[in-house]
Amino acid sequence: MRNFILFIRRFFNLILFLALEIVCIILIERTNTLQGNDIVSSANTVSGIVYKKQSDVVYYFGLRKMNDSLLNENAHLRNEIDHLHSIDTLKDSMVHKRINPTDSNIHIVKFADYKYRTARVINNSTNASDNYITINRGSNDGIAKNMAVISGTGIVGRVEHVSAHFSSVLSILSSKQKVSAKLKDGTNGYIVWDEKQPDALLMTDVPQQVKVKKGDSIYTAVFSIFSPDILIGTVVRTEAVKKNTMQLIYLQSSTNFHNLQYVYVIENKMVTEKKQLEDSSAKK
Amino acid sequence: MNVYIKNILRFCIIILLQVLILNKITLRWWSEPSGFPVFIPYVYPLFILLLPFETPVWALLILGFIMGVSVDTFMNTAGMHACATILIAYLRTNVLSALLPRNLSEYAGQHPSIKSMGWMPFLVYSAFLIILHHFVFFTLELWNFSNFGFLLLKIVASAITSMLFIIAYLLLFTRQSTSRI
Repeated sequence: MRNFILFIRRFFNLILFLALEIVCIILIERTNTLQGNDIVSSANTVSGIVYKKQSDVVYYFGLRKMNDSLLNENAHLRNEIDHLHSIDTLKDSMVHKRINPTDSNIHIVKFADYKYRTARVINNSTNASDNYITINRGSNDGIAKNMAVISGTGIVGRVEHVSAHFSSVLSILSSKQKVSAKLKDGTNGYIVWDEKQPDALLMTDVPQQVKVKKGDSIYTAVFSIFSPDILIGTVVRTEAVKKNTMQLIYLQSSTNFHNLQYVYVIENKMVTEKKQLEDSSAKK
Repeated sequence: MNVYIKNILRFCIIILLQVLILNKITLRWWSEPSGFPVFIPYVYPLFILLLPFETPVWALLILGFIMGVSVDTFMNTAGMHACATILIAYLRTNVLSALLPRNLSEYAGQHPSIKSMGWMPFLVYSAFLIILHHFVFFTLELWNFSNFGFLLLKIVASAITSMLFIIAYLLLFTRQSTSRI
């Protein structure tokens, strides 16, 4: 026993060092799993308040830019309303919606129940390898994990940690996140972040025979967590992959992550039902 | 000023400086042509570097943990900063005794600084620990060894800018006590 105590006293520092390192590794390990840890994240109350104070100060400098973007968005929404007025048939919970008045394709869109909530960005990062955004809405305002987040100009990310008044959003500028996307003609693929540069995205899993031109727009797919037909970005260049028949498409993100001010959090009321169905069929 | 109050104040100043100002600076002006990595200067290990000489190792470790976890909380990195900071807190005493000519116990009441150590030893001391810190942190953050050159470039670029910011901090916040007659 005495030897044991002597041993502890002799190597106390080393033991403490190893113990603390193990605590850190457990913390890192836990964030990489889906449960996440809400204590050590910027949804935490203390850091939330600090970021909110800072955002209150910096907020005024961006007002001019924000007015412009809100005006643009209003114009866009007005156009959408005009298109929706031209819906003529309604049968069996299906809506025939004319996407573009000049082109005669009629797309069939199923009813999905989306609810939009606005939130202000109080902290934002673009330079880590997993970028997070903190917003000033939390579980008290009805935010829950895994809700989709968009801005007026494009997609932003997915809610990862939630506290009472704040939540932190994992942005698409992250290695942990894939988004389903589609081209103009409906070909599906995945969007991942080109990790070396902010605002540069990669679209994978697109067959080579699909013709993609520079400047084409890429939208969210129907089955992504985002509501469909939200702009993701525009094509910069394409590159054929030699080992299979796919091509890589380099995109410029339409959201400017450097000056995000307001975002919308989308609640999809069908998502739990859909998830349950998919899980139960995956088990069999 | 009491040494405890001074260090608590320094803790707050450094963490606010890191979180509110330096984290907002994205150094990317070279990144356009050749895919140069983006990076942030990390100045907060300076708090560990500037604690008094006679701080025991267990106190250094615990303070390093608190500092690391606070930065982690702000940056959503859960434990990565803490892991790197604890390592440099553990090695600090050994590096100091290797660099200083006299025994550490003879420097009672002082803390590592340009004044107490001289320019060259202090720069070697801080550069060594900062590079170690950045190495551990960026390795943990990327956790991808397929692109080792990219990782090294990120570590070196970030360490150089961190050192510049640390020297600027020291020049700004060191009191010039020499009386001018």
